[in-house]
Amino acid sequence: MVEQLSPLEPVFRAGSHGNFVDGIGVTLSEIAPGSIVQLAAWPGQEKKLMATINSVTALKLADGAGAGASSDRYAAFGFAPAKFLVTDTSEGLAATFAKEVPSAIGTVTDLSHGRTALRITGAKAEWVLAKLFAIDFSSAAFPLGSGISTTHHDIFTQIQRSGPASFDLYVFRSFARSFWKMLCHAADEVGYEVR
Amino acid sequence: MSPRRTPSGGRIDRLRTIRFTFDGTAYAGHQGDTLASALLSNGVSLFGRSFKYHRPRGVLTAGIDEPNALVTVLRGDVREPNIPATMVEIYEGLVAVSQNRFPSLAYDVSAINQLGGKFISAGFYYKTFMGPVIGPLKGTRFWMLCEKIIRRAAGLGRAGNVPDPSRYERMNAFCDVLVVGSGPAGLSAAREAATSGARVILAELDPTFGGSANWSGETIDGEPAIAWASDIVGELRDHDNVRLLKRTTVWGYYDGNTLAAIERVGDHKATPAKGAPRHRHWTIRAKNVVLASGAFERPLVFAGNDRPGVMMASAAMRYANQYGVLPGDKIVVFANNDSAYSAAATLNKAGATIVAIADLRQDVSEDCRTLARECGAELLTGHAVIATEGAKKLAGVKLAAFSIAAGVLPGNARKIEADCLIVSGGWSPTIHLASQAGARPVWDDDLQAFLPPESGNGWYGAGGFNGTFSTADAILEGFAAGRKAAGQPEVEIGTAPDIEPAALDPRPAPVFEIKANGKAFVDYQHDVTADDVRLAHLEGFVSVEHLKRYTTLGMATDQGKGSNVPGLAIMAEAVGKPIPEVGTTRFRPPYAPVSVGSLAAERFGDLKPDRLTPMHDWHLENGATMYSAGLWHRPMIYGEPGETVEQAYVREAQTTRQAAGIVDVSTLGKIAVQGPDAAEFLDRVYTNLFSTLPVGKARYGLMLREDGLVFDDGTTWRLGDNDFLMTTTTANAGKVMQHLEYFLDVVWPELRVHLTSVTDQWAGAAIGGPRAREILAACVTGTKVDNEALPFMGIVHGEIAGAPVLICRLSFSGEMAFEVYSGSGHGTHVWEALIEAGEPFGMVPYGLEALSTMRIEKGHVTGAEIDGRTSARDLHLGWMLSKKKPFIGSAMMDREGLVASGRLELVGLISLDNRPLNGGAHIVAEIDTDNPHGSLGHITAACFSPALGKYIALALVSGGKARHGKRAHVSDPLRNRFGPVEIVSHHFFDPEGKRMHG
Repeated sequence: MVEQLSPLEPVFRAGSHGNFVDGIGVTLSEIAPGSIVQLAAWPGQEKKLMATINSVTALKLADGAGAGASSDRYAAFGFAPAKFLVTDTSEGLAATFAKEVPSAIGTVTDLSHGRTALRITGAKAEWVLAKLFAIDFSSAAFPLGSGISTTHHDIFTQIQRSGPASFDLYVFRSFARSFWKMLCHAADEVGYEVR
Repeated sequence: MSPRRTPSGGRIDRLRTIRFTFDGTAYAGHQGDTLASALLSNGVSLFGRSFKYHRPRGVLTAGIDEPNALVTVLRGDVREPNIPATMVEIYEGLVAVSQNRFPSLAYDVSAINQLGGKFISAGFYYKTFMGPVIGPLKGTRFWMLCEKIIRRAAGLGRAGNVPDPSRYERMNAFCDVLVVGSGPAGLSAAREAATSGARVILAELDPTFGGSANWSGETIDGEPAIAWASDIVGELRDHDNVRLLKRTTVWGYYDGNTLAAIERVGDHKATPAKGAPRHRHWTIRAKNVVLASGAFERPLVFAGNDRPGVMMASAAMRYANQYGVLPGDKIVVFANNDSAYSAAATLNKAGATIVAIADLRQDVSEDCRTLARECGAELLTGHAVIATEGAKKLAGVKLAAFSIAAGVLPGNARKIEADCLIVSGGWSPTIHLASQAGARPVWDDDLQAFLPPESGNGWYGAGGFNGTFSTADAILEGFAAGRKAAGQPEVEIGTAPDIEPAALDPRPAPVFEIKANGKAFVDYQHDVTADDVRLAHLEGFVSVEHLKRYTTLGMATDQGKGSNVPGLAIMAEAVGKPIPEVGTTRFRPPYAPVSVGSLAAERFGDLKPDRLTPMHDWHLENGATMYSAGLWHRPMIYGEPGETVEQAYVREAQTTRQAAGIVDVSTLGKIAVQGPDAAEFLDRVYTNLFSTLPVGKARYGLMLREDGLVFDDGTTWRLGDNDFLMTTTTANAGKVMQHLEYFLDVVWPELRVHLTSVTDQWAGAAIGGPRAREILAACVTGTKVDNEALPFMGIVHGEIAGAPVLICRLSFSGEMAFEVYSGSGHGTHVWEALIEAGEPFGMVPYGLEALSTMRIEKGHVTGAEIDGRTSARDLHLGWMLSKKKPFIGSAMMDREGLVASGRLELVGLISLDNRPLNGGAHIVAEIDTDNPHGSLGHITAACFSPALGKYIALALVSGGKARHGKRAHVSDPLRNRFGPVEIVSHHFFDPEGKRMHG
């Protein structure tokens, strides 16, 4: 299979940048999952769709807006009422769901090429993200696994908390390079490492 | 030791000397000094010139309310004007200059304005320059002449015109409790809220937390107030749920408890830390707010109250206690309340001589008398300062007996030599933020001040903000406010802390002005005098809001911090009403100046994000000249050395028509329309049927707006029974998505349809030309691409160089053409494979210019023609309006105006003088260069057509088809282009579509 080309390639500069005199505040990386799939349920079918997601990914999605979960392989979160983003480190997840989600329950949309997944990890992750988004990133308001849809500078972004100090950000691929530059710029102050 | 620095005391670091310049003169100060304290310590008394009269001005306050000592700070060529010297922290190498003076601060030629007197009183420019009209000298012309002179003579600092290289940032924060102000009340509130577990933000505009604890000289429960404050700040630092923001001014209070603040991150540093912003704009969303913003000491209005050496009493005390600076050696005190006595005691203790204390009141408390005695000051009760003496610094004051009922009493005035006059006219709580939040201030007769109402929706007040001036009470109020704001149940408040020395009575005598000869300033920053206020009243400005605008009282950066109440009091007296009946103006954000850079923040130099196609880097590497199409960057041409744009696009279009060309069409809007009702939905949004479209086929579709005019067009591909891929024009992708979502959410919620933007999922390459099919055949695997497998509007799945692709045979160029879609991550890979496959066939990449040329030759419409005013019939697309079904716009498309004769219709034009045509040019029957008129329509798009060898255009012309074959003219007076054209069909090239259908 042909490898996907990262939209960040010319601006992706591995190494330490910014003010890292006092250490690295955040680590930035592109996580490039094999599959990014959007699942959406018809009214009243949300529970069934969640059950299907749980069954395919072995995750346990809780009820509630933005609830999500992740494992080494999969990640899933609700980003809008009855809509979920599910990722898989392997390719082919859309095809799997296409078989599992009948049209009476909802729809499956493959976005594996359409979204770029970035990860920001580190003690200053919340600080850096707070520069870009009007979102409360504290763990109380944004617990582990949960997700949200938001926007920065006209760029639609879906964010999932992937660890106590780690967030995965999904942006439209065509905006990814611009967004990456903004993210690096925002991280300058705390020192960042690109991996 | 500098002349005014006390031998000890203050919170400055005397071991660290900092050098800076003011107006080119080198000075030294210490770490912890402001520019004001450092200059005062060096014996400097003249800081600036006033706005209008160019009067010499010193420093009046020690904080953000400073109206006089405004300076310009220079960093290289970047200048930032109008910064209060009281807010500038000195750093090594600081360069500051004074303002509004020429040639120097000491000798300013515009000081002659002081002789202008009433000629330049309030509103003088409104009336002085309105006429007369004599001969060619119009009133307005005279004004224009004077305006230039006035603008040069008046004003404050001069803005710079070089780019500011500083970095600015924005930050979002959320908290349970925002505490504004870190004096004893604020610290107490923050501690209580933090202890309860609430998330707390404590914002302090000064570089150190503690507010008045830093300079009050009090002890709290036996501990110096500074140490008490420092202990609490230490406690707060240990809380994970507390964020401490110093050098942070909360300047705006907006709906939903959203507050704006500016943090001065780097202003106090010679060199900012790498990556650190100069200013950080905070948007704080707080569940509750504790307003502990303190109070401003008010000046008294008397003749000469602006002379350098006149200073607020609390400011003098602060300079002595916090900075170890004496504002004078021989000090006179002038007050209408007790608080100035504390200042006198402090200054005396620090080494100054208190010559006299003039108190407007006859009855003065025993505590005050004791303090006066201890200072060795002569206490003159029932006395007022009626004038000050000196030129650029105070030399003495003139005192006279005063009665609150009668004013200055007749009799001999008495002169006292002094180099400093400290003044206290009472206190005005800093209610700006509450006022912005909608609170209606309440007049308090005791304090002679406007107080906030008890509490507001989402905020609680504490301390000086509430008009509570004893530290003990402020701490208790802070405790209560902190608990309330954190949602904690009320508890019985414990014992008040023991404060030494005991609080004096801050209630002032109701005196704001001492009437005497000479200019008595109400608003120092704008040179507004008491007479100006009375003049405004005489001229009919009875509303306090009008008064403000006519006189400029309390406007601009000052926002009436010191002048608001005295101004109202003088107005009230003139009107003959009590102050509360006159009312007060509503404070507006910002509370203090905010850098525009912090508001723009990271958008500086980057007003919009770039949107790039998957093949963007390939285009750049292969010589494309790019241009912006909305947010997208698209190739315009792939020019060869020495080629003009026209030569390049002509070559690209010609080669495409002769062999093949390839163009990046990834920017087309792509929307996945999915669900059991998707076909039904498309039938409703398109003018033509889509439910009859078989799987594996595409169809051109046209959308109307509800008003019957054309909205957008594009092809929609049926990928499955319930799965359509809609394409839209690049420019309209977002609008179409919104349009469709609106109808699904609001009008037809019963339809089971999901919409998803998949524009970025697919990279698109359109390959067209007589050799296009051969090129595809050479690189596509997994499917045939012959006419049988891939007929016009057919769709096949295959692979190119191992990457899955979706191919649809459709054409915008008019050639045999195919759109090849691959996953965006494979876009460059597939594109390069197509380029390689096309090489033997002479295929070239082409840009938007060639694309546009070929579409004009074919007469295809784009956004230039779908301009929001054209109907389907205007564009000769009436055949697409289904009569079998209703659709969006069908109810309105046949209304009278849209079927009227004479509407502008799409036509083609051929230039008959073989010169280029321009978009936007008018079409007229006859040329009249002197008086262009009689437009029949306009050109929408123009090019040189390599297929026809002529300059051609598309146009919207009244009468349309009926004019085919007739001559007309272009009339383009802006570009001075006039010439004959022939009106023809918009189908210039291959009207039967033979090339496209093969």
